[in-house]
Amino acid sequence: MKKALILLGCPESPSQTPMAVYVTYKLKNMGYDVTIASTPSAMKLLEVSDPEQFYITQKTDIESCLENLDQGAYDLLVGFVHRDAAVSYFVTFYYILNTSSIAIVFERDAEELERFINDIENNTNATIISARAYHNPTPLRVKFDKTIKTMEESHVLP
Amino acid sequence: MFCLDTYLRESEDYEIHMSRAGFKECAKFIEKNAKEFVRVKAGEKIVGARIIGIPPIPIGLDEVECTIMIPYTKPCYGTAVVEIPVETEEIQRIKTLAIK
Repeated sequence: MKKALILLGCPESPSQTPMAVYVTYKLKNMGYDVTIASTPSAMKLLEVSDPEQFYITQKTDIESCLENLDQGAYDLLVGFVHRDAAVSYFVTFYYILNTSSIAIVFERDAEELERFINDIENNTNATIISARAYHNPTPLRVKFDKTIKTMEESHVLP
Repeated sequence: MFCLDTYLRESEDYEIHMSRAGFKECAKFIEKNAKEFVRVKAGEKIVGARIIGIPPIPIGLDEVECTIMIPYTKPCYGTAVVEIPVETEEIQRIKTLAIK
């Protein structure tokens, strides 16, 4: 079974948790075995959002995941990038895994958003999904759906 | 096995030069202020912990004081520059990880 790793950032941005559940749902429907790596606080939000673990079945602490990560351990990396630290984490996971990667980049400040996009663009070959978003996850969800559909149709996804 | 998180929690023998900063500011600080530095790949293990950041990542070295200066990133707190004491052998090992 194909394996996907979803990398979450700091949970302060309200769009992250619903999008994490949604991305898990989409990837599972596409046949991926999905693991979510996050901080303990981001994981608490997911656990309350999905009390019967209908979507979120495999989860791991971001620090221990990173320490034990090997190249090729996952077929797909999807990372949430909405802070400077999240750029660093995404790029690091990208280089270690050396696999197909999607960065979901979002911020409410346009200049910050552009800076995060440039940092990911200049340092990885990841597919970038970006939107000015904070409370409302819809722009990200719509762009994620479009990107995934295009990637599937052009057989880019593992 | 050495754990950097535990070390920073339990020891007082370290120095924080910057905190809650961006990765690039921290990288510039290390390149400007370390006695010497090498650049390494993202994810390299330094004192047992993977280095997080945008490569090439500078690691400051002080062979006289036997310390290293590293960027230290946490998801909710940004990046800090931490200087910690290490064994001479670790400094030599870090030098072997250097990339151009």
